[in-house]
This record gives sequence, C-alpha cells and structure tokens, in this order.
Amino acid sequence: MVGRANIIMVLGFAIVLAYVTMNLNRYSTSAVGNMSSYYEATAAHSLALAGANAGLAKIYQDTTWDGSMSETLDDPVMPGSFSTELIDLGGFRKMLRSVSSYSSSAAGVLHDTIDVYFNTRRKNSYTLYAWLTNNTGNVFWSDGDTVWGRAHSNGNVHISGSPVFMDKVTTSKRFDPPFVGKGTNQAIFKNGYETGIASVELPSDLSELVAASTSGGRRYTDDIDVTLLPGTLVNNDGIALVQDLSTGAIDTISLSGGSFNGVIVGNGKVSVAGVLDGSLSIASLQSVSVKNDITYERNPRYGTSDDLLGLIAETDIVIADNAANRSNCEVQGCLFARTGSLKAENLSSLPVCGTLNTFGSIIQNTEQEVGLYTAKGSGKPTLTNGFAKDFRYDLRLADNNVRPPYFPGYYVKAYAISNWWESYRISSYD
Amino acid sequence: MSAFLDIIASLLFGGALFGIVLTANDIATETQTVYSGDMLVQQMLTTTAQLVEGEFRNIGFGVPEREKTIMMADSSAVSFLCDVDRNGTIDTVKYSIGPTSELAATDNDLDRFLKRGINAEPVMNVGAVTVFRLRYFTRSGEFLSAPISADRLQEVYMVEVTMEVQSPTAPARDPAMVREGERDRLFSTSLWQQTRLASQNTRR
Repeated sequence: MVGRANIIMVLGFAIVLAYVTMNLNRYSTSAVGNMSSYYEATAAHSLALAGANAGLAKIYQDTTWDGSMSETLDDPVMPGSFSTELIDLGGFRKMLRSVSSYSSSAAGVLHDTIDVYFNTRRKNSYTLYAWLTNNTGNVFWSDGDTVWGRAHSNGNVHISGSPVFMDKVTTSKRFDPPFVGKGTNQAIFKNGYETGIASVELPSDLSELVAASTSGGRRYTDDIDVTLLPGTLVNNDGIALVQDLSTGAIDTISLSGGSFNGVIVGNGKVSVAGVLDGSLSIASLQSVSVKNDITYERNPRYGTSDDLLGLIAETDIVIADNAANRSNCEVQGCLFARTGSLKAENLSSLPVCGTLNTFGSIIQNTEQEVGLYTAKGSGKPTLTNGFAKDFRYDLRLADNNVRPPYFPGYYVKAYAISNWWESYRISSYD
Repeated sequence: MSAFLDIIASLLFGGALFGIVLTANDIATETQTVYSGDMLVQQMLTTTAQLVEGEFRNIGFGVPEREKTIMMADSSAVSFLCDVDRNGTIDTVKYSIGPTSELAATDNDLDRFLKRGINAEPVMNVGAVTVFRLRYFTRSGEFLSAPISADRLQEVYMVEVTMEVQSPTAPARDPAMVREGERDRLFSTSLWQQTRLASQNTRR
C-alpha cells in the first residue's frame, strides 16, 4: 500500500517538474524566437536591398534597360528571392521596385519592398559654369587670361597664346587651333579639357523668371533703375529701390520680406548699381545696364557670405559708358545674357577704363570683347579702349543648389536618384 | 514495529521531497519570471527597433533636394521631414521620450514611453524604453554634438541609435543581497544599437 503511494507520489512530482521545465523551455525558446524574428525581418529587408542594388547596377550598365529581373537564392542561410522591376511613372520619372520573399521559420513568407525613384533628366544651374558661351565669335583667349571655374563653349574655343584654365574646359566643337600645345594654342589646362561634348543649350525664353516675378516677385512694365542698399550691419536686411523711369515712382523692396521671392523683372531696360545684402535676381526682357559697381555687403572672397545676385538679360548686359565706370568697374553676381553678350557700351570710342572685375559666373549667347588691344613692338598687347578683364568664379556656385532665385537652368539626361523608400513595420504601443 | 518504521521513513522521505518541491517551485517561479521578462523585453525591443530603423531609413523621402530634412536633432529627440504615407505631402515626424512619471505604475522606475508624432496628430506611444539615445555624424564621420544648431542640421548624414528596454515588472531581490546603488529588482534588459543609420535620401 505504502509502496504504491510512493510510486504515485514520485510520478506526480515527475509530472509537475516536467510541466514546469516545459514552460521554462517555452519561454526560453520564445525569447530566442524574438531575436530570430528580428533577424528574419532584417534578412527579408536585406534581400530587397540586394534586389534594388542589382537593379541599379543593371540600369547604370544599360540605361535603355526597361524590364524586370528576379533571382532566387538557393541557400539555406538565405532562403528567399527578390524580383526587381523598372516602372515608368511618366513626366521624366521612373521607379525601380524591388520586392523580396523570405521564408521565415515562424511567420511564413516575409516580404519587403524598396522603391527607388529616378528623375531621368536633371536641372542644372548655369552657374555651375564660370564661363559659358553659345557662340565664341572671334574672341581669343590669350596670354594673361586666367579662368577660375568650369568653362564651356557650344562653339569653337579660340586660343592665341597661353591662357590658364584652372578648372575643366569643354567645347561642343573644337579648339582653334585644334591641337593643344601646337602652334598658337599653348593653353594651360590645370584640370583637363574635353572636345565634342553635347551642347549646353540656352533657354528659349525667360518665362520661369517672368512667372516668378508675378507670383511673389515684382514685375515692372517700363524701364527701371534699381539701386541696391545694404541696410544696416545686420545680415540680410538689404533693400532694393526700384524707380520707374517713366513715372519717377519709387518702389522700396525689402529683400528679407517674407512674401518677396527675390525676383525683379522689368519689361524694359533695367539699370543696376549698389551694394546687395541678400539674395536677388534682377532680369530685363530687354537689356541690363551696369551703371556703377555692384558688390555684396559681405564679400565671399574673404569670408562667409550668403549674398547672391543674378543679373539676367534677354539681350545684353552692358557696362555703361559713364563717369563712374571710367575708373574700373566691379560686378559681383551671376551674369546671364540669353541672346546677347556681356559688353562695354561704346567700346570703340571708350577710353581706357581700367579693369572690369567680375565675381560670379558669366553666361552669354555670343562672346564679345570688353576691351580693345593693339600689339606693339614685341607683340605684347596693349589696352587701347575699354577694360582689361579680371573674371573670377564664385566657388559657392560650384554647388548646384547655390544660385540666385529662379536663375535659369538647363536639363541634362540623367538617372538621378530623387527618392528612396524602404518598407517597414509599424506597431502601436497604446 | 515495522509499520512504525515505515511511517517514520515515509515522513522523512515525504518531508525531504516536499522541501525539494518547494525549493524547485521558488526557483521555477523566479526563472519563469526572468524568462518571461526576457521574452517580453525582446519583443518590445525588436518591435520598436524595426519601426525606428525603418522610419529613420526613410528620412527625407519626398523632400526636394535643396531643402533640409532634419528640423531638430537632440540627444533623445529628433524631428525630420518625410512623406510618410507617400501621398505627395511632406510630413513632419518627431521622435521623443516621455517622462518616467507616465509609467509610474510599473515596478521599473526608469522606463518611459517612446513617442512618435506626425504633424499635429496626437502623439503615439510606440514603445517603452529605458534608454533612447541619438548621436549624429556628418558625411565625413565628424561627430556633431547635440543639440545641433540650426546652421549645421543639413550636415547630419548618419545617426547612431541606441535603445535599451527593461521589463516593467521583476521579482524583488533579497534586501540583504542589495548593495548600495544597486536596484532591488531583477529587471530583464535588452540593448539595441544601430551604429550608422543613413537614409539614402540624404545622400542625393
């Protein structure tokens, strides 16, 4: 009797202890299972990423590729697959979608998605170039000329002597003379050159600026005169005084005013001078005249500055023939002459006026001289009319994101990644 | 006489077995509490980690290239722009931690809610953490000390996220065994760290 009771008691204890042990094991396994689930979710995500990277490699190898691809990994460590597809979203946008399938131990098949969005064309600012011309005319780069920043011409680049180009030079045609280092083409290229590349087309109009001027900017129908005032020593408190030359009315624009988008457009001629404190684009649907020095309140050559000016003309940007400009002229800003040139007014009758110092970038349709030279004796050129040139590039502009408000840009074919989305799991703790 | 000895022996064995069962029960209870705490903690941690990791990877999604994506960056809070629901509207997402008083009902005096807010919607509690620490680095790996000034927010390129989760309840320790500065309960703890989390959208 006692022996049977003992057996029952021992069996009872064994059952109780087995149950407790089983429970403990279950908790222990679940704790490990959590980390295992996290690992599997990460693996599914990594698989989708692998698919995206494979798709990207395919695209950048062949930009005409427009299909799908899939891969199954026959590996016990990574039991899954991915499928990748390129989808045309229209409007110069495409999307690469990669979807993974991962066989998890507990949660069935896990899927993760990576969406990579592309812009198949990219807008670059012309200010990426220190110097850009559509036609070079018959102007030669010669001894003593130094160009800082990238230079490009859609036409031939004429060289006579040893101009120095500090950054890369490109031309859609060729050099004249064609071979660097031979004949009169002794140009020095510090960062290389390339010929026969695609043209950088100038825009067909200034409609984007005009639209900006009527939605947050200022638009004037008559000829105007713009005087830039730096305000106080406080940064970005500059003022633009705009005088309507027909009525004499003066419009005072605070450049830091919250509603002002930084664009002034005149239908007629626009003359400009003064000191800028802020970011501003001044455009004319005719020509822009520089009537005196135009400088930044904070000179970016010698410190930090966020002052930035754009002078945009439908035709020419003209250095005015006046007393103020007879003794050097300084223009800090980005100059853009859509169908014309940067030029000096009355050049043939202009006396020697010193140096035209520009600091920014110069974009023009046709290159013109701002000074006339004659050769004397040994052939060293001597300035007889107008200005000697000292054109400097504002290095801030090498960043495509730094440009005056609504400054014109050009499109390049690209597969630029505009956005990248990765799926994830959301849970609420509430 | 023999029966009497049987009864004595049975009492001895029974008593010993009963003692063993009681001890085993204590150990089992404590171990079970620790294991279940571990399980709970790891469940909380992995869930929260997946959310944070996933959402931080999408920082800046839909934001035009020229605009900054991180609006505020502190050591335990961050606010950034992202088109969360991909509807073409940029949302402002904010992660922060609440005060420990919000979880005063738990045994753990260190746990607090991890909060996620989108635009002006009510803030959602997405986890309970004991540590939520953020560190920021530039593209070149330079450490930016938090809070990051507005003029350097655009330099943030990588984020290091450290999260620690502890169980809300835990068995009390024997007061005699608790030394000065030590906690009086056996909280389960799990730590997760993503050392360099970079959104592809900040690489453009």
